[in-house]
Amino acid sequence: MSSPTPQPAPPSRALRWAVAGSVVVMIAAGGLFYYASQLAASKRQANHNEITVTIHDHACEPNALSVPAGRASFRIVNRSDRAVEWEILDGVLVVEERENIAPGLSQVINANLLPGDYAITCGLLSNPRGTLHVTPTAESDAQAKAKPSMVAFIGPLSEFRVYLSGQGSALVKTTTALQHAIDAGDLGQAQTLYVPAREAYQRLAPAAQRLAELDNAINARADYFEHREQDPAFIGFHRLEYGLFQQHSLDGLAPIAQRLVNDVTALKQQLLAQSLPPEQLVNIVVRNLNSLADVRAASGEEERYSHIDLNGFAANLQVAHKVVELMRPLLSKSAAALLPTIDSALAAFDSELQGFKGDNGYARYDSITVDQRKQIADKAKALAAALDGIDPALGLSGLQ
Amino acid sequence: MKKSIIALSLLMTLSPLSAFAATAPLDLVGPVSDYKIYVTEEIAELVTQTQAFTTAINKGDLATAKKLYAPTRVHYESIEPIAELFSDLDASIDSRVDDHEKGVTAEDFTGFHRIEYALFSQNSTQGLEALTAKLNTDVNDLKTRVDGLTFPPEKVVGGAAALLEEVAATKISGEEDRYSHTDLYDFQGNIDGAKKIVDLFRGQIDKQDKVFLAKVDKNFATVDKILAKYKTPDGGFQTYDKVKENDRKALVGPVNTLAEDLSTLRGKLGLN
Repeated sequence: MSSPTPQPAPPSRALRWAVAGSVVVMIAAGGLFYYASQLAASKRQANHNEITVTIHDHACEPNALSVPAGRASFRIVNRSDRAVEWEILDGVLVVEERENIAPGLSQVINANLLPGDYAITCGLLSNPRGTLHVTPTAESDAQAKAKPSMVAFIGPLSEFRVYLSGQGSALVKTTTALQHAIDAGDLGQAQTLYVPAREAYQRLAPAAQRLAELDNAINARADYFEHREQDPAFIGFHRLEYGLFQQHSLDGLAPIAQRLVNDVTALKQQLLAQSLPPEQLVNIVVRNLNSLADVRAASGEEERYSHIDLNGFAANLQVAHKVVELMRPLLSKSAAALLPTIDSALAAFDSELQGFKGDNGYARYDSITVDQRKQIADKAKALAAALDGIDPALGLSGLQ
Repeated sequence: MKKSIIALSLLMTLSPLSAFAATAPLDLVGPVSDYKIYVTEEIAELVTQTQAFTTAINKGDLATAKKLYAPTRVHYESIEPIAELFSDLDASIDSRVDDHEKGVTAEDFTGFHRIEYALFSQNSTQGLEALTAKLNTDVNDLKTRVDGLTFPPEKVVGGAAALLEEVAATKISGEEDRYSHTDLYDFQGNIDGAKKIVDLFRGQIDKQDKVFLAKVDKNFATVDKILAKYKTPDGGFQTYDKVKENDRKALVGPVNTLAEDLSTLRGKLGLN
């Protein structure tokens, strides 16, 4: 049994009129909507000084842009037949971009631009690059001369924390390797591995020295203890150094090495947990260089049993290089006059130390003459003085 | 009487917003640096796995090469906010065929998607030596450049929204991995990369806007739950053509809302 299939009835005349009527209403509504959106678009343009850029199949229009420095809005209209991107480039680095702009649609890019010349990627990768010329304004000139704000230090300080993390891991790794050699009873290997562990420490020393107690457990010299080398409280790197290079013996070093591994592991954690204000970033390096210049260079007291002081100085200098690199963009912008002095002080200290480097690394410090030690101290002092100019020039101590 | 109660309760609702101080710039140092550490680890994985992926291709092992394609590139997708800053490398590593006028035959169409085309569309590992060598060079170059880059904090925080916009624009449509249909790996990579950013700044966001954070978390959970349906026992994902229409639709809402919400993150953390 089957029910009769209902046949579609022919549309009545009334229905046809109704359909036609609703189409008219839809067109009218669409027109109104279009009008309203055009009005809104033109208002937007008027309100925000939006610059419209149209992406065609093979080029952007306009392809050469010029805007005043500061905030700019670009409305990118994609009139090509593919989803494309529009980017503002400073060299190869993207300043701002909008990806996947669908064909027929538009997107807005807001950018805060510094004066200069930028390139524009426009749609297909083979399309010619556009140009964006950003002209200075009274405001941008004033900003360029102004001291940086606290926000400007987030990047450099973050990068220094990444450095501490990486160097902290290197310190844990090299110290653990040293411990393993001691545990294995291999004196020669332990003497060899003492060097990279100390270098790793010295690449952190300016920051580590803020953590007084922990740093003493890791780096205190025998002089700080009542009974000097014989004092049971004498632990850390220099106690190992004393055993390895003075006594030529591994006796009693295993627990000291174990404790040192624990302490450098804690050091890494605490360095990452500490907040470092901008003025300290430069200040810790200045202090480290001053201690080098005032004490360590002349006396050679830091590595008095192993005489690898030069390795430590070179590692200290690497930290100074790192901090200068991190501050360089801010210095170029707000205190460019300091840079030549800083760079030449860095280069002078570099070449001074380089002079003591042979095929087997740095010379032993007990072979360095009094005059040479004075030269090293002078170079460190000059660098410390040059770096000391950064705080007042950038107003680090009074940052908001 | 009644009015004043309403006014009072309104005041109580609004006052916490104004009571919170803006995020102190130095509070962002920890999260920004932790993000760089995360990106560095991801790039190390990208370099190692790209080596294994391209070795399989050069040995002519098509099956292994196909298997390694998606899990390798996921390490690129998760760090796109930083990787994309280098426009030349982004083009040579991750450009899609649409970016090239001459399509698959374009000389400068290189990188993952060009290799994807050979492996999945042409079913071949032949003649890819130059492309695999270039991909290895490029990811190593990316590693060097990222190591030397001071991360701009506004790009890090803005990265969460950038990743979700990427998902909205290219992942739901399934156009990113059009030959292999392994889009869900990239999808998850983008989502994980965005979630990582939110997690790193969680403390600071929480101080500014708890309601916002709860909403973001909820939408992330919704997306993760839908993606989890398509996970395979080996930890990978089914191909995108297996994703049901209702699930595709169910992803659109939370993804768009996340993209929109996360675009306010820079402002919330004082980085506009």
